[in-house]
Amino acid sequence: MLELLSYDFMQRSLAAAMLVGAVCSAIGVFVVLRGLAFVGAGTAHAAFAGVALAYLMGWPPLAVAIVFGLATVWITGLMEEQGRMKLDVSIGILYTATMALAILFLGLMKTYNAEVYGYLFGSVLSVTAEELRIIAALGFCVMGALLIFSKELYFIAFDQEMAEASGVPARRIFYLLLTLVAVTVVVSLKTVGAILVFAMVLIPASTAYQLTHSLAQMTTLSVVIGTLCAAGGVLLSSVWDLPSGPAIVLLATAVFFLSVLFSPKRLNRSQA
Amino acid sequence: MAHPIIRFSHATFGFHGVAALEDITLDIAEGEFVGVIGPNGSGKTTLCRAILGLMPPFSGSLKIFDCSCEELHCHHRARIGYLPQKESLDRNFPITVLEAVMMGRYGALGLFKRPSKQDREIALQALENVGMQDHSKTALGHLSGGQQQRVFIARALAQQPQVLLLDEPTTGIDITTQYSVLDLVQRLHRDLGLTVLLVTHDINMIRKRVNRLALLKTRLYAAGPPEEVLRPDILREVYGKDLVITEKDLIIVEDYHHHHH
Repeated sequence: MLELLSYDFMQRSLAAAMLVGAVCSAIGVFVVLRGLAFVGAGTAHAAFAGVALAYLMGWPPLAVAIVFGLATVWITGLMEEQGRMKLDVSIGILYTATMALAILFLGLMKTYNAEVYGYLFGSVLSVTAEELRIIAALGFCVMGALLIFSKELYFIAFDQEMAEASGVPARRIFYLLLTLVAVTVVVSLKTVGAILVFAMVLIPASTAYQLTHSLAQMTTLSVVIGTLCAAGGVLLSSVWDLPSGPAIVLLATAVFFLSVLFSPKRLNRSQA
Repeated sequence: MAHPIIRFSHATFGFHGVAALEDITLDIAEGEFVGVIGPNGSGKTTLCRAILGLMPPFSGSLKIFDCSCEELHCHHRARIGYLPQKESLDRNFPITVLEAVMMGRYGALGLFKRPSKQDREIALQALENVGMQDHSKTALGHLSGGQQQRVFIARALAQQPQVLLLDEPTTGIDITTQYSVLDLVQRLHRDLGLTVLLVTHDINMIRKRVNRLALLKTRLYAAGPPEEVLRPDILREVYGKDLVITEKDLIIVEDYHHHHH
């Protein structure tokens, strides 16, 4: 295994996976607490539609994916505020519509393009040095924003109306969170793929949720779990020659089920 | 009358063009303890949202701290400590008592500033004011309804507010706890010199504690000392047949609907 680590590609993919794991699991805390899980899943598919369109037209994939991702989260945010339709319904529609777009764009391509499918299923082992730099740059931006606005983000996750009533610019912070979700999804697309990216956002945070009663601890635990699962998944996938995305996600899922089994909350509930 | 801190002047508020509160004219003086009463759907919560500047009037005006409520900036809002109507808290939400109370500091601090040691002191002092200092590290979800209510009052106090705005603070908690929460509010009013607005459907609970009552049913039917407001002719006008007055002058307003939403 140590021998594997001496390869450039292996170091790159480990670094990419750990970065993505850290960013996804950090933002995941706010996504889980604010109840935006479904929003993220929709965004991932929209971003993939963006990638497909980019390949079809010969545009830069990440840029188009960001545009698609941002459009989806902002539309979703507006729909939630308007409250005219139940959020799960409106996101369900957006989600399937963007997926249909993606399939349409793929169908319009004259030839089979393996690279596009890399964005769907994830291919961390083929991350290039330049892609790693982009992941790192965007990842640090997201982490920086999360740190700077952490107190407001926690507050709106706990109670957005109360946050607004006590003088926090809650609406702007909510849109900031949606924006960060979109950027995170796009950053992670190449590594874990559109289908699995949301697992990386949800699972570490939900695992941490099971284990603690404190916001600060939940965040720390989530990031540790996310980063370790990402690294572990990459190592497993290269040792046993498994696809990397599923290896990371299934490892995280296993940890999640362990946390549910040993959750102090579950023990409390059975006492009550 | 002392300096008015909140001034409604012919103010009308509502959603989607339907008025929830109409033509309200009311001054609330600094340091007053005012009980806001009225049947369900009488606009009591709208009144709270208006005072928080979350809902500008269709017509008329509302001034808080001499600042028109449309222009109510974030730092003004932080000077109003608000206890929203109790919703059922997700008992598993991972937050400690101190973390929840610290949130009271966030609006006052503003963006880009991290809570300091001093903010922590203020939050701990707020917890002490509500008698919950021993629970600072406890999970919020593990507390009883009454204790959670105290923690949320502490969060409002952590804002170091001038005005304390409480929306149905006694709903959904057991009767002895209701009294102790009201005793607490009364003590805070007295000791901290806060202006208190307490919205409730339970007239009997607060009639002996407040300086003035404001009786709402879309319009303001009466405002004044309890003995002036709680007159059978006035109450009958607002509550109609839901009103029962017993021989000992105890007013019972049958408020069945309240428990159903």
